[in-house]
Amino acid sequence: MGPGTGASVASNGAALTHHSRRPRWQALLAPAVLTTTVVLAVASAGLIRGIDNAAPRSATLPLTDRPEFSDALRTSLLLASVSTLIAVVAGFGIAVIIVRWRGGRLVAAAATATIPVSHLVGATAFALLLADGALLSRIAPISSTLLPPLVAGPWWIATIAEYAWKETAFVALVVSSVLARHEAVLHEAAATLGVSPGLRRLRITLPLAAPALLVTGALAFAYVLGSYEVPWLLGPASPEPLAVWAYRLFTDIELSSRSDAFGVAALTTCLALVPLLVAAIGLRRLERLS
Amino acid sequence: MTLHTMPVTRRQQVSTSPRDRRRHLVSLLVAALLLLPITPLVAWSFAEQWTFPAIVPQAWGWPEQVWNAGTVAAFATSFVLATFVACAATMLGAMAGLGLRRAPRAVSTAASILLLAAAAAPPFALAMGATVGSLQLGVAGPPAVAMVLVVLALPYTTFVMRAAFAGYDESLEEQGRTLGMTSWMVLRWIRIPLLLPSVATAALLAFIVGWSDYIVTVLLGGGDLITLPLLIAGAASGTGNEQSLAFLGMLAIAPPLMMTTLAFGLARRYLR
Repeated sequence: MGPGTGASVASNGAALTHHSRRPRWQALLAPAVLTTTVVLAVASAGLIRGIDNAAPRSATLPLTDRPEFSDALRTSLLLASVSTLIAVVAGFGIAVIIVRWRGGRLVAAAATATIPVSHLVGATAFALLLADGALLSRIAPISSTLLPPLVAGPWWIATIAEYAWKETAFVALVVSSVLARHEAVLHEAAATLGVSPGLRRLRITLPLAAPALLVTGALAFAYVLGSYEVPWLLGPASPEPLAVWAYRLFTDIELSSRSDAFGVAALTTCLALVPLLVAAIGLRRLERLS
Repeated sequence: MTLHTMPVTRRQQVSTSPRDRRRHLVSLLVAALLLLPITPLVAWSFAEQWTFPAIVPQAWGWPEQVWNAGTVAAFATSFVLATFVACAATMLGAMAGLGLRRAPRAVSTAASILLLAAAAAPPFALAMGATVGSLQLGVAGPPAVAMVLVVLALPYTTFVMRAAFAGYDESLEEQGRTLGMTSWMVLRWIRIPLLLPSVATAALLAFIVGWSDYIVTVLLGGGDLITLPLLIAGAASGTGNEQSLAFLGMLAIAPPLMMTTLAFGLARRYLR
């Protein structure tokens, strides 16, 4: 046995001793998994109990048969779809600017500056920017006959603008961090082989960004679907999205409305999980394609 | 041409091309658009008088009516709550991030799905459900708010730390020990420089979750927790108080913005 082998055995021994001292995965995972399970279980049990405790009200229709329900569902799905679509498209464009253009660092800094702004503060900022008599109407007065009010108007413009603004920055930052890892090398290789810039974007940038776009899009959709503050501050009084309707029912002086609030909350939770399932299936397909 | 002058010359050549100037202009426009919504908050915070249709305020001034004991107390409450959420979620998230790396694939996938479900669940629904259960368990009020917020922050801290551990080469520690490094030196010269930027990012994200929350505090706080978002929502539901609203908004942006700058500074310092 040479000296090198002895050192190697000693080193392996030290490594083994070190590894045996390493915390096991069960002990590492348990605190986070248990805390999450307890909170999700308590919340789910609370929702189910709240729905079960419904006072018998023969005069009212079942929750899902009421016109408010279809209005709230349609409004929430519309807000989530439009905001997510804008965020994904604009976020992808901004991510390309961040990664490939020389002014990218400035854009990345501006996108990062939006992260500490909460949706509640974002909504107040958009109110100060877009409401009647606010900054935009002073700079560019637009006749109300041409465009309905941006804040609390029937087109939900301020609400969608706030969601799109915050979620675009989120999508752009995540996608740009993914693109920054591999895109430049592949782009250069393709350029050397004579592939046109448009084709490079279609065949390299888009496939590389697709998983991140799918996941961030699903998270943005789920967030907007269950968000309360922005439509409450910037949306019209009617129709109400699911979260606003649920909160109003929950705080209603009529105690029997509470069970309806729990029902709307449970339905919104189920709906919010759908985009994540879609994203999981989509990711698996993308993996197979690549 | 020397090696030192070459990059400068190339940069100069690129900057003179019309395409590059166009791209620079578009980048500036995009950055301005991203920052545009914050502009009225800054302007209104210090606008003592700004009546329609003036484009700039007629009189500037410090918003004395907002800076009172109630605002300071709400700021302090928000800060304590967010700091607790950041500490707890970062610690649990760091452990879970490492656990996800070491666990068998099936366990890792199941734990990730559970954490993602918490991220996707609407906060208002979680809080409504928790009102019933927390009362029965006797943990209503601030502890219940803190626990729900930790769970909402955990997916972010866990996945950030999981990515950090994925890029962390544990053999560096072995090499350090072989070269005679003590445990303290391994911590100081290997572990902290490589993991601190990710820990800072995870803590920042968790802090923002705790700092920004409105709906969980309103529903579960039971009136015991008056945080900054509650003051903002109160001001936003009134009219004619734009300066108060804008100033409270600026107060809410300042701490996480400073922390973001700090986290990026750390990342630049240690990842250089």
